[in-house]
Amino acid sequence: MTRHKFAKVLFTRKTGGELPSIVVAANENLQSRFIVQKVLELREQGVPLNDIAILFRSAYLSFDLEIELNKANIPFVKFGGFKFIETAHIKDLVAYLRVIENPRDAVAWNRILLLLDGIGPRTAEKVIDEIMARPSALGGTASAVPVRLTEAASYPRRVHELLEALRAVAPDGLSPADKVQQLLLYYEPIFTKRYDDYNKRRKDLEMFQQITERYRTVTALLADLALEPATESVSDITAPGPDDEKLVLSTIHSAKGLEWNSVFVLYALDGRFPTYRAAASEDAMEEERRLMYVACTRAKENLYITYPINIYDRESGLVLTKPSRFIEGVSENLLDTWVIDEE
Amino acid sequence: MKKYTLKKADLQKEDDVSARQTRFTIDYRNQLNPAQYEAVTAVQGPSLIVAGAGTGKTRTITFRVAYLVELGVKPESILLLTFTRRAAQEMLRRASILLDSRCEKVAGGTFHSFANMVLRQYAPLIRFESTFTILDQGDAEDVVNLLRTRMKFDTRERRFPRKQTLFEIFSKSVNTHQTVKHVLKEEFPHYEDFLEEVLALHKAYTAYKAGHNLMDYDDLLLHCRTLLRDHDQVRNTLSERYKYIMVDEYQDTNRIQAEIVQLLAARHRNIMVVGDDSQSIYSFRGATIRNILDFPETFPGCGIITLEENYRSTQPILNLTNEILRRARD
Repeated sequence: MTRHKFAKVLFTRKTGGELPSIVVAANENLQSRFIVQKVLELREQGVPLNDIAILFRSAYLSFDLEIELNKANIPFVKFGGFKFIETAHIKDLVAYLRVIENPRDAVAWNRILLLLDGIGPRTAEKVIDEIMARPSALGGTASAVPVRLTEAASYPRRVHELLEALRAVAPDGLSPADKVQQLLLYYEPIFTKRYDDYNKRRKDLEMFQQITERYRTVTALLADLALEPATESVSDITAPGPDDEKLVLSTIHSAKGLEWNSVFVLYALDGRFPTYRAAASEDAMEEERRLMYVACTRAKENLYITYPINIYDRESGLVLTKPSRFIEGVSENLLDTWVIDEE
Repeated sequence: MKKYTLKKADLQKEDDVSARQTRFTIDYRNQLNPAQYEAVTAVQGPSLIVAGAGTGKTRTITFRVAYLVELGVKPESILLLTFTRRAAQEMLRRASILLDSRCEKVAGGTFHSFANMVLRQYAPLIRFESTFTILDQGDAEDVVNLLRTRMKFDTRERRFPRKQTLFEIFSKSVNTHQTVKHVLKEEFPHYEDFLEEVLALHKAYTAYKAGHNLMDYDDLLLHCRTLLRDHDQVRNTLSERYKYIMVDEYQDTNRIQAEIVQLLAARHRNIMVVGDDSQSIYSFRGATIRNILDFPETFPGCGIITLEENYRSTQPILNLTNEILRRARD
């Protein structure tokens, strides 16, 4: 027989604790305002904002709450968004390093050629074809950056400047940090011209240079950047300081492995969580159930599950009114039910 | 004069193990709960640690690393595969504080970083150069787009799948061991008419990467698997090098990752996987809960240890989460 789960019953030696709550709101905005109020209460009781998390099935489900949080001046971070390595200016720099490392990397060639004024996709492709066609350009060694292009005269001066810059940093004797430092000089005018907010982005370049100091080879640097894009961009997050107490908003997927004193699971509304789409497959539905399990097991002291009613679902044409099936019908001994009473 | 000779300690022999235990610097029995202790001291052969939420999984792995090293296992021959590099670093850092700096020599990292390391060494065996560069998802989608334009598939009257969709189909096919045709049919039935074009594009994408010495993330795992599967010498060398293998978050592994684990451990079977089937939530990325659920059958004789004592939540919260699980399919 196929096994579907390993049975487990978790227990703690800790004593005490309140029953988790399920809170019904007459509409979405009421749900948001309830959460805002409750968060402020918890804060009043001494729970720091960064020890409180609002978790949701899908990122869009928190939009209304975000507006209410802004109105109430409650600072928050939302997990997701761009990672350092995915930002355009860092990708530019990485592309220079990639063609030095692997001159056959046409993807990187394409990126750095298109950065040049007056070079469109067609010229870029011609240049790339020529680089690829020259056996001397292949072989993966530092000297592989082509010395001259045969159709040299017909290419804009900037193409030659690019090749010149790459040749200058190609020698194996230069450390990755040296290479990046020189490339940054070359990249500077392109960078400031291309990005209006280059002042904000410049911090990322500095951080990138700092990272390269730790590496002995470009191979290792590139592999780590590709495999461990962990650091977030400076322009996306402000540096954490002593006053950096922020409420956490997160998808359940991003909350895995984390824990907070108090956790809100919002939109525990059947059709949203589980999503309406999961109904078609038992496996998908079981995975939604596990998502609910992951969400609820993040809480240390307080757990609030909330859902709004009378939500019209465009996809199915249904009005959603029932709590998540994973919670519905749970004994009163396990879960307190509350209805929001607006005063 | 009496002659002394050195005999290699045999971890299979109970006498040798208990002889070593008397000299241990860490009091494992008192620092761990009974289930954790059992997990930490299960050294030989396959075992599965089902670690419920908040039950001290990181602590257990950390102590197990220290335990192995105290037993006399060479740190370099322990391989710890985790989901993020940060997780591996954190566990090894803690193990080093717990025991000593020998634990820093343990090989730790993600499946992708492990595959990268193997491929840098053996790339020529699969006709790549060791200087191959890695395409991230955005790059990979751009390549697909470039080929789509080049092959003039986007000029049709009917809407051809977008580059993101195409790449998703290709990636899913790799991660779930399904043909491109199957994935297209199952997930994007409205594009089924484009089957031929999608297949041609997939072929072109594969050829492009080979031609330009490029690998995307899926390729790292796929090529590593192929190396281990088809090259006995590579597999034997790596099995010889890593005699004790631990895998964290096993519920989030995909089929290829499970194959890599099986190939690496086939010879010595010293494999411990840790995870919680109830927290398997990444099927959209190709993870399959079957890996952890079927592990006892994949490695017959596997010991199963369940960690249930929770150090995070109050009992009322656990009562509710236990109930959510109880209602899950049996």
